[in-house]
Amino acid sequence: MFGNLDTEQTLLVLKIAFLVLLYLFIWAVVRSVTRDLRSAPQESIVLSAKEANELRARYEPVVPTPAARLLVLESPTLSPGSTVEIREPTRLGRGGENAIRLDGDDFASTRHAMLEPRFDGLWVEDVGSTNGTFVNGARVTTARLLVAGDIIRIGKTDLQVEA
Amino acid sequence: MSARNKELLNLGFAALVASAAFASVSIVGTGLVTTRWLGYVGVVFGLYLVAHIVARFTVPYADPTLLPLVGLLTALGLTVIYRLGPEDARRQAVWVALGIGVLAATLFWLRYDYRALERYKYIFGISAVVLLLLPSVPGLGHRVNGVKLWIKVGPMQFQPGELAKIFMIIFLAGYLRDKREALAQGRLKDLGPLLLIWGASMLVLVQTSDLGSALLNFGIFLAMVYAATGRLIYVVAGLGLFLAGSAALYNALDRVQQRVTVWLHPWTDERVYCSISGELDFRQNCDSYQLVKSLYSIANGGYGGTGLGKGTFTTVDGTQLIPYLNTDFIYSAIAQEVGLVGSAAVLLLVMVFVARGMRIALIAQDGFSKLLATGLTFGLALQTFIIVGGVLRVVPLTGITMPFVSYGGSSILSNFIMLALLLLVSNRAAATAVNR
Repeated sequence: MFGNLDTEQTLLVLKIAFLVLLYLFIWAVVRSVTRDLRSAPQESIVLSAKEANELRARYEPVVPTPAARLLVLESPTLSPGSTVEIREPTRLGRGGENAIRLDGDDFASTRHAMLEPRFDGLWVEDVGSTNGTFVNGARVTTARLLVAGDIIRIGKTDLQVEA
Repeated sequence: MSARNKELLNLGFAALVASAAFASVSIVGTGLVTTRWLGYVGVVFGLYLVAHIVARFTVPYADPTLLPLVGLLTALGLTVIYRLGPEDARRQAVWVALGIGVLAATLFWLRYDYRALERYKYIFGISAVVLLLLPSVPGLGHRVNGVKLWIKVGPMQFQPGELAKIFMIIFLAGYLRDKREALAQGRLKDLGPLLLIWGASMLVLVQTSDLGSALLNFGIFLAMVYAATGRLIYVVAGLGLFLAGSAALYNALDRVQQRVTVWLHPWTDERVYCSISGELDFRQNCDSYQLVKSLYSIANGGYGGTGLGKGTFTTVDGTQLIPYLNTDFIYSAIAQEVGLVGSAAVLLLVMVFVARGMRIALIAQDGFSKLLATGLTFGLALQTFIIVGGVLRVVPLTGITMPFVSYGGSSILSNFIMLALLLLVSNRAAATAVNR
């Protein structure tokens, strides 16, 4: 269909077009990820840890992270009816190095779940357990924000988030 | 716009850039202005469309730039490989298809939680060492171009070192996550593992006489230790040990000596002993023939290049000027045809990929993911630096592939596994941010 076009001229056009398109592609790719970040403004596509912290400090004012309390509903290890206070990132599991140790719970993994109070509330994340971590019966796949009344199930242990 | 829609848009753009390249090569090849090249673009980006659809189902939140960047890099590699030998390009296209198959399988297999890999870290660590030493097993190892990196089983041959690299990164991510506090304190007894791995890499260097992969693996190790502990002293000490070890081995390894001589003095004014012919000859006609011809090739490209398809790679009678042009020296072929402007853009593609990879490491939530992303990204970056630096005479030349661009099955397959792991880490990190 282009049989009547001059080959040399076409090649020259293609050569220039290729180089221009190549740079436009790089520009478009970088732009596609730097433009519409809603949470924090970003000047570069990679921030150093220091810059990221400065930006976070500026746009996410530091609110003291409130401690969360959990009511033990059922557990082979912890006594039902007692409460557990979470003030810092806390790992739960059967192993001895966990802050909350569930050594009598055969269905809990050595390292089971992480509970972390952040400024917006208590978060739970599964850290590679075998039998899974459940919130109100739904398996936790990524870090998840908890609300008061949520029931966390780890192995045979049930914990309820208190207001 | 969602991450996957951005990815689709970026892939479309990459296909457009590749179209210009394919068209140019096709027109030079046939001497006619046709639209035959459209079929090739369709096949290559059809494959990436499959990868994109798999990503939609398995890693919906993953970074939208990685797949398009890799798509364009492999397409540019294919263009130059096709131009040097259409048969090789057909084989390479099959490897890319298999690579995307492996990518899809990895994404599908680990779609729930790739961090399960951490539990098997010691198995990965031991497998990596076994794989690295496999080519030294008599009867199994296969020497190509003086370097023992291949194993041959029947008609199949592959480089186990490529897979070993990935296994080692997974092991180190798991191991360093565990031991980072102890290492960060910097007591002397904690240096044990560091010395052990240094010893292992030296052993592999002696066994395979391949400086490139020893440097690559040790470099990845140091970068990951630095990322885990934040202590520069490990990097300084590690590099010192590596240099001391290499210097000590320098006299014992002819191959390393030859590489360094070629790097420092590629041209000679007088005839020197040539180990290939056994006679006296100028070094540019002997040991450094490849490197010198490759430098002429780059120089011939100038600023804007000769245009894709129009570079000179053969003599008048049709013999190829540079051996291993489509693997080790692919960068010099690209540099001739697209010039300084174009080859700088190719490096930019790699740099954007690396920048995104490091960002994935920054936003990842847990130590294992952070270290995994750092290791994978740094591995690709260092590998590109070693081979491109070698071709440009910045460092001694060692025969490793340029990730995603060079011709080679083992390399393409393992690079796609690394891409899959990065997408998985990125998906998890971004999904956590979205759910907030």
